[in-house]
Amino acid sequence: MSSEYAIETAGLIKVYRSRWKRREVRAVDGISLRVARGTIFGLLGPNGAGKTTFVKLLLSAVHPTAGSALLFGREAREPEARRPIGYLPENHRFPTYFTGEGMLDFYAALSGLGDAQRKKLIPELLDLVGLSQWGGVRLGKYSKGMLQRVGLAQALIHSPSLLILDEPTDGVDPVGRRHIRDILTGFEEKGVTIFINSHLLAEVEMFCQEVAIIHRGKVALSGKVADLIAGKGYRLTVAHPPENLVDQLRAQAASTAARNGLIDFQFPTRESANQALDLLRAQHCEIEALAPTTSTLEDVFVRTVENGGQN
Amino acid sequence: MATMALIRDTFREALARKIFWGLFGLSVAMILFFLFLLKIDLVEGAMATVSLFGRTSNRLTDVDRLVRGVYGGIATFLYTWGMFLAVFASAGLIPSVLEPGRIELLLSKPISRTHILLGRYIGNVLVISCNVVFLVLGIWTILGMKTGIWSPAFLVSIATTIFIFAVLLSVVVLIGVLFESAALATMISMALMIISAILAQTSIMLRLLSSEWSRDLWKGLYYVLPKIWDIGRITLSAIQDRTFNDYTSIWSSALFAAVILSTALYIFSRRDF
Repeated sequence: MSSEYAIETAGLIKVYRSRWKRREVRAVDGISLRVARGTIFGLLGPNGAGKTTFVKLLLSAVHPTAGSALLFGREAREPEARRPIGYLPENHRFPTYFTGEGMLDFYAALSGLGDAQRKKLIPELLDLVGLSQWGGVRLGKYSKGMLQRVGLAQALIHSPSLLILDEPTDGVDPVGRRHIRDILTGFEEKGVTIFINSHLLAEVEMFCQEVAIIHRGKVALSGKVADLIAGKGYRLTVAHPPENLVDQLRAQAASTAARNGLIDFQFPTRESANQALDLLRAQHCEIEALAPTTSTLEDVFVRTVENGGQN
Repeated sequence: MATMALIRDTFREALARKIFWGLFGLSVAMILFFLFLLKIDLVEGAMATVSLFGRTSNRLTDVDRLVRGVYGGIATFLYTWGMFLAVFASAGLIPSVLEPGRIELLLSKPISRTHILLGRYIGNVLVISCNVVFLVLGIWTILGMKTGIWSPAFLVSIATTIFIFAVLLSVVVLIGVLFESAALATMISMALMIISAILAQTSIMLRLLSSEWSRDLWKGLYYVLPKIWDIGRITLSAIQDRTFNDYTSIWSSALFAAVILSTALYIFSRRDF
């Protein structure tokens, strides 16, 4: 585990070819991505963008058509490269004949944990995810949220250095989500790299330090969350401005919105916002508010996807 | 450790399926049937005869023949219906492990794909082996205790039944990996058993077939495909204390299984999930 990156892909391509029809789908189209150790990284993208295929390429569940994928500097296709990985798949199907304890025991054994370690860790992990009373119950009796939590315990049991979580809070109620976030935060503090594939943009924005937005198999946008949502402009809220001034300001503003007798002008720069302020004050208009605005990750996401991958 | 986990998982899944309990129940029913039969009439009668005429070897041979006949019948049952039931019960164990949402998690673990599939294969063979050993040993013990005849030759049927099951399971694994269909796997395995019985009539067919190429084709198929019928005959010969020294059918069937299983492993290692 010598590399400074937990995940490093270079020109990763996956083309699915139909066996009978001469049809090709480029699910992943040249993705080069680096995820530094110890970061919480979010992978975003609309349905069918190639996120799940990308994750499967990392796990070697899918073979790349071209390019390379390294996990802590080792080729992802080597079984040993997957030893430090904890994975929670989306739409997982844990066999229902398992009890919670049995399921953890099975996957922990596959991860290389010995009998004594498993016996010690299973109750601890069940307790961590709030299922200590449910260890002896068959998974068929678990709710979706409980399955998600026991799935998370399965991903954590061998103390992985990299967690790959596909929709980790899917089907979990808000309290449970908070609980899962707290657990993951604890692991992040221990230096575990967390790679999340999620549709819940607000959650990704709150939790991740870096994101990449994938669109049509390519990385459309990537960077630190703080950078991506910062510096959008300034919003000037004015009460009942005269009509001629509204027209003048509307021409300068990036966008305008009216609500309850107030008008919001969105200016792209501080200079343009100050010029508008001077104009309004010269005519003795009442200023309700002036505030810098940021984008939400959702704004960034929608803009990126609607622009066909160009932010 | 991972291998043991995979084998245990196959056992757990088998035990969770009613069909395996049905298979086990059938074995129990057969053992109870022989226990009952022995007590009530047939064997107890024979035992009385042996006890009275224990000093004469002819009577003893009658009982011996009876026991060997029973062994032969059970071996034949195991080889035909038992094999069908075992394949039918096992055919779902490969597609189930390939289900989306389950296979990805297995593949994310630090074990090779070969390891995963072989673990499943060995686990499945062991599940059926337990049942075969239980049934054969159970009946052998009952008959041995009641008649005093302990013919170890009957135990050969444990090895041959498990061996042929392992051969057929390699086909089930290949079909499972290719098509993820339990029904298709069962159908093809059964077809192989029937074809094996037909191909085994080589000496008759080679005389009946008119053209050279059709005889070559027949011989080719006979040597390539597993010789389930022939191994069944070897089992019966062993039970009846007849000698046999042609092991071609065993090693060629083992070779067939090795090739089919290797193909399944190769395809599994190349597949995207």
